[in-house]
Amino acid sequence: MNVAKLLEKRRVQWSELERLCDAMEMRGRTDKSGFKHHQGAQGIARFSTLYRAACADLALADTYQLPPGTVTYLHRLVARAHNQLYRANKFEPQSWSTIIFETAPQQIFSDPCVRVATIVFFGLFALAMYLGRNDTLIPGFADRMVGTEQLSQLEDAYEAPLAGSLDHYVSMSGFYIMHNTGIGLRCFAYGILLIPCLISLAYNALALGTMFGYMARPDVVGGDNFFEFVTAHGPFELTAIALAAAAGLRIGIGLFYTGGLARTESIRVNALKAVPVMAASALLFTLAAFTEGFISPSPLPYVIKAVWSVFSSGLISFYIVVLGFPREAGEFASQLQAGEPTDAA
Amino acid sequence: MASPAALDTTIAVVTPENIAFDYQLAGPFRRLPAYLIDLGVRWGVIIIVVICLSVAGLLASFSGSSSFVIASGFILYFLISWFYGTVLETYFNGRTIGKWACGIRVIDTDGRPISGKRAMLRNLLRIADLAPPVVISSFANEAFPIYVPTGMVGLLTMVCTRRMQRLGDLAAGTMVIVDERGWRLPVAKVDDPRVPALASFFPGDYRVSRSMAKALAIYAERRHYLTPARRREIARHLAIPLIDRFEFRADIDPDLLMYALYYQVYLSDPSDEIADLGPLAGFSPLRRDQNKPQGLVGDTANPISPAVNGPPPGTASVRPTPGSESHVPDTSLLGKPLPRPQTGVSQPKGEQPPNSLQAVPRREEQR
Repeated sequence: MNVAKLLEKRRVQWSELERLCDAMEMRGRTDKSGFKHHQGAQGIARFSTLYRAACADLALADTYQLPPGTVTYLHRLVARAHNQLYRANKFEPQSWSTIIFETAPQQIFSDPCVRVATIVFFGLFALAMYLGRNDTLIPGFADRMVGTEQLSQLEDAYEAPLAGSLDHYVSMSGFYIMHNTGIGLRCFAYGILLIPCLISLAYNALALGTMFGYMARPDVVGGDNFFEFVTAHGPFELTAIALAAAAGLRIGIGLFYTGGLARTESIRVNALKAVPVMAASALLFTLAAFTEGFISPSPLPYVIKAVWSVFSSGLISFYIVVLGFPREAGEFASQLQAGEPTDAA
Repeated sequence: MASPAALDTTIAVVTPENIAFDYQLAGPFRRLPAYLIDLGVRWGVIIIVVICLSVAGLLASFSGSSSFVIASGFILYFLISWFYGTVLETYFNGRTIGKWACGIRVIDTDGRPISGKRAMLRNLLRIADLAPPVVISSFANEAFPIYVPTGMVGLLTMVCTRRMQRLGDLAAGTMVIVDERGWRLPVAKVDDPRVPALASFFPGDYRVSRSMAKALAIYAERRHYLTPARRREIARHLAIPLIDRFEFRADIDPDLLMYALYYQVYLSDPSDEIADLGPLAGFSPLRRDQNKPQGLVGDTANPISPAVNGPPPGTASVRPTPGSESHVPDTSLLGKPLPRPQTGVSQPKGEQPPNSLQAVPRREEQR
């Protein structure tokens, strides 16, 4: 049989497959292709039959000595049908609790990047706080670090005692979710470049630390109000920033500590490891935002805010240390459970 | 031979059906418009949301719940600006609106569709790919500096990686491919009557090699875009060995010869009847028939020699032929007396070897 006749014969099926692809690209279904026998399950069965036929044609293209133009066409047709047959995996919300409560804490506990980020962040934070509080060590440190204008603005903001209506709280918590989680995500994204992430982390640590130290000076008005404000949400928010940077650093470090993998492969593996940590960080940011919106600015007594602060610190410690402690026995058991069905199969 | 991998922006993917097919990768200049469209759509959606919310806020301000509207405005802005690409790529099979408009799609490097986790990673890391941002100093004011992302990091990694991946793609293990629609099935049609005639002079058991078949098909597809002189120049490289092998006349048009071989390989059917040669019947392109009286030799017309615009390089005889090549047979052959009427299968009288299809291989054995 000559090639032209072969093509004419096969072309009928190919154009049918194309029409099915058209229909599936629009709606994800085969119903709208215009053929009667393409309704529902029948259409899907027909689609997969035609797809396999096109695959076979492509496989035999070399043997049939099809013209290169036709081979290109077949490549595209098969690719197109392949994209419709194997569709994107949706999110799996049922796996999210596993990620948040099992994978993430274990990863946080065992990841050296978390330790590095935490030490950098809280170390610089404490240093800046000390230098900002004590003006004699480096005179004018706070003014140069944060800026005189910002410091006076900060003072003005906390001169009055905290009081606000519910309206204010709700809108502000929305703003904090947007703003602070945005900073965290930015820190995470820059982690793949390492240096911008570290700079961003260090800058946040120094600026926040200096503000804290400056407000702790005895001669600054509004210091008490400031600390009353930041006490409640401090633990969540500071931990969240450190974790976001740690997740970012995990990806960037993958570029250097490849563990025997190719560099691109190593980045991929480390990025997948970083996702649970980032998810935990985003959760903490959200918790911090609601705390910052509702508890921090409220005229509640300071004791309640302090108790909330202690409680949230305990919660984070429980999350990282207890949930995250490496459990060999548990892992072994889960491996056994996972192994059984494969053995049976 | 060259290395087996083509020096091309295609990537082979092996499907579960154990078929390898090629994807064409999308480069930076296909992806940039898609990104810009997405940026526009994102801001359009944000503006619409803001307008809707401000209307809702006006209504809600009477009932005293406008703060919820403001809070939801902030949260929606946050979600749209950070998770637009993630959600669209996950739910629309690797495409955002901009990608759909530009005909590109994100897939896994293994050719599988993208998963939600990977879509999230590659979209979050876009910030790093757009680095470093520059501040436009002429518009800059102290409070609101305008940052413009340059995208140098992403461009650099796309240039350096085999699959043209940006950093986000590398981290997520994805790649962006061209997902074109609306192509046509290319089948070249032969409408020149000289082509089947000439094709009948190829021996029936002559099989072209695969690379030759490929070259013929590419040539037949492209020759419409070339001038006749350029066609001859290109075709000559393959035609001269064929002329030597099958002992055609030296002044045969190389373009016509290649086209005839294409017809022989792809379009003709061995079981077909020999085509009606019409006025061309009896004309032989073979070299040994060149000096025989055919009613054409010595005439001003030779239907298969290159048409008028100057003699083709490499041919010894210079015959002025009128008209362009397409109507040469019509003008010069109609009405001519054909002293030796024969078709490709009819046996000629005399000691001349038969002009039929079986003749040439036998003589090749002798050589």
